[in-house]
Amino acid sequence: MTTVEAAKFHLAWFKSFTPHDWRSTWSGSEERDWMTGDSHVDFLRALERARFDFLMLEDSLMVSDTYGGTAEASLAQGGYAPKGDPALLASMLLSETKRIGVIATMSSTFVPPWLLARTSATIDHLSGGRFGWNCVTSSENRAAQNFGMDALPPHDERYERAAEYVEVVKQLWDSWEPDAFVMDQESGTYVDHTKVNPIHFEGRWHRSRGPLNLMRPPQGHPVICQAGGSPAGKAFAAGNADVLLSLPKGLPDMKRYRDDIRELAEKAGRDPDDIKVLFIISPILADTDDEARELQAMMNSDVEAKIKAQMVNWSATMEIDFSRFDLDRPLPDDAVTNGHQSTLATFRKFANGRTLREAFTAYRTEAIEVVGSPATAADTLQEAMEFVGGDGFLVMGPTNRRYVHEITDGLVPELQRRGLVRTEYAGTHLRDHLREF
Amino acid sequence: MTGPDMFHLGWFGSFIPTTWQSGWDGTDAGRWMDGTFYVDKVRTLERACFDFILFEDSSMVSDVYGGSSEATLKRGGWAPKGDPVALAPILARATEHIGISVTMSTSFYPPWMLARSVATLDHMSRGRIGWNIVTSSEDLAARNFGMDALPPHDERYARADEYVDLVTRLWDSWDADALVMDRERGVYVDHTKVRPIDFVGKYYKSRGPLNTLRPPQGRPVLTQAGGSPAGRQFASRYADMVMALPKGVPAMKEYRDDIRMRVAAEGRDPDQTKVMYVVSPILGETHQHALDRKAAKDEAVRQHPEGQLIGWSGSMEIDFSTFDLDKPLPDDVATNGHQSTLANFRKWAGDRTLREACVAYRTESMELIGTPDEVAAQMGEAMEEVGGDGFLIWNQPHNRRYIGEIADGLVPALQNRGLMRTGYTHEHFRDNLLEF
Repeated sequence: MTTVEAAKFHLAWFKSFTPHDWRSTWSGSEERDWMTGDSHVDFLRALERARFDFLMLEDSLMVSDTYGGTAEASLAQGGYAPKGDPALLASMLLSETKRIGVIATMSSTFVPPWLLARTSATIDHLSGGRFGWNCVTSSENRAAQNFGMDALPPHDERYERAAEYVEVVKQLWDSWEPDAFVMDQESGTYVDHTKVNPIHFEGRWHRSRGPLNLMRPPQGHPVICQAGGSPAGKAFAAGNADVLLSLPKGLPDMKRYRDDIRELAEKAGRDPDDIKVLFIISPILADTDDEARELQAMMNSDVEAKIKAQMVNWSATMEIDFSRFDLDRPLPDDAVTNGHQSTLATFRKFANGRTLREAFTAYRTEAIEVVGSPATAADTLQEAMEFVGGDGFLVMGPTNRRYVHEITDGLVPELQRRGLVRTEYAGTHLRDHLREF
Repeated sequence: MTGPDMFHLGWFGSFIPTTWQSGWDGTDAGRWMDGTFYVDKVRTLERACFDFILFEDSSMVSDVYGGSSEATLKRGGWAPKGDPVALAPILARATEHIGISVTMSTSFYPPWMLARSVATLDHMSRGRIGWNIVTSSEDLAARNFGMDALPPHDERYARADEYVDLVTRLWDSWDADALVMDRERGVYVDHTKVRPIDFVGKYYKSRGPLNTLRPPQGRPVLTQAGGSPAGRQFASRYADMVMALPKGVPAMKEYRDDIRMRVAAEGRDPDQTKVMYVVSPILGETHQHALDRKAAKDEAVRQHPEGQLIGWSGSMEIDFSTFDLDKPLPDDVATNGHQSTLANFRKWAGDRTLREACVAYRTESMELIGTPDEVAAQMGEAMEEVGGDGFLIWNQPHNRRYIGEIADGLVPALQNRGLMRTGYTHEHFRDNLLEF
């Protein structure tokens, strides 16, 4: 029997600049000063020790008061707000690590492109090429109202704007050629001005003269990350993204989604291996499988609380007041959103006529359920990747230290022993990590 | 740690390359963007008990001088320039006491975004962040942001006024005790202590609230520079610290008295706004040594006045390359940029030729030359005459040697004379700034 080396996959973590996990038994005492960033530094170091590709920091720009017409439930729960600026946290975290990447969310609808190009170029320099931008178009009118608009542009128009936005930003990064910086003592030339040029970008929605006032970022273009399941979102991602957070659930849909993206990328003239599709997981780990299942049952035992938490979150992101609906009937047909369209569509498909109570009870955010001992969890992940074809997983879970260490010091070593994830970083830039395998 | 004659020290600079042709630049000019130089710098300044470090900023590559970016980029200094806001978290993490003030422009940042970034930084630094408010003055920067030009000077201040009002309300949209973390009732934040602001102004709208906890300082420190009447009026309404450039001790006193009068007229305690003067001391082992260094610097400028001319071209948006270096600035030159800078320039330059103006010009309120102890004495005398409140050191030259001369030469001399703090009393930037 010949041994075939298993194909490696990527690991990343998904989190917001929010408190870690203030209600669990293992929350520690960091829930008052999480905004200093100190505990996040420890968290990122743990991920680096486990050789994760990156930490992705999500963002939103509002306090939601959709659920029940008040901010009460959303703020009581925490998690959605309060939330700090992820780009600033990224800068701090990267300065305390050497190899791991950090991707921060910034909205193409609200941040002026020149500002975004410069901030991300700065952080890419400060980190030696380990920064990424998660490009979102934002999905809430409440956020738009914080920025002086009455409402967001319609869903598909936001993607058209975003496509143009990414184009301006890339041109700004490119406005300094890689060899513009010469520092030639003899001719007294610090920067060669012939290699720094205005871009004179005149688009339908965006204008910028340029150039940027900063050298080209070490990665050329910082990594671009995207999440999008709608046709407009997928087309946009296939053309621009280095890495995708993907929403489909269950192995067949996961595979279909990844195949789709790879095909779209190829059509857009890109090498499909240059786009990595990562799937969300929230492993529940314990010493034994029985114990893990027991834990899962405990976590799901408070059905009412679970349903409410999910509804409060979706009320925020979709701006649909879920508190109005009868839990014992299916989701009404006229519930529509200008926000997370594919999430809602996926949920409808998943519910398949079931009542909201039934559907929410069964619903999960993660792509596949991962429950068991580290060995069992590793089996699940290995089988999933063999079926889907790649490219890895994005862990979404409470970031109390206990849980983080179960992943980094329990699950990851098991995956490493099987040769499924890296044991050392090969490259220095975030994009190197993504393209390593 | 404090005494009756004490004044404040701050450092004024940019997130730019170090000097690279001085002979004392190490390897920093090739690596400044990794942040190491700035971490070392801010730690040095903290060791020397500076109240704060302040980063100016600009958003363009100037091509005013000679109609090309050649001169600007060839020398470095104006561009490349990194985003000081992204640097601030790293500096905050590397220090415990010193204040960090970053420039953000009211003409380019969406107010809600600025309010949140500054609030986040204030948390990350445990209450040590300042926002240096600028309205920006260059149309070239405006064009990077999709505008054709900036609003006229006085309108920019009217907008800035409304902007700061809005940002302050956003910080106030969370009460200090909104975070309750009541595990029993399952309440992280008490929603009755977080309110929309429904701000509808002439220039800005924002519903609010902010989505983050109230900053530890409540309102992060606001710093500002502005010599024009509109600028001074603006400063008197909001600023905790005004950066000033009047030339000579009598003008410094006049400026400070004016600011204090305006602050009082706004119903604020004049002691709540500190006026600090920009200086670039030239130090030496002996008095003669310092004089020699000044003479050498002057001669270098006489031979190569472009550096100064590029600076003026960028900040006033006037192409100084078109003028005869050996004649004074023509009378018919105007600017939409720093009006007070141009007016002050004319008043000061008189009938000097441009070349001699370059040699004589100092971005500083008073010349400080001598041994550390002599300079410390000059600073003490000036403050006694002016009434307060301190100095901003402007990096000249921008390298470790100069920073070390200030931190390890001048500061101990000031401390020996009881003119400067020897430790930090408070946790927050504002509390230290208002301590004396």
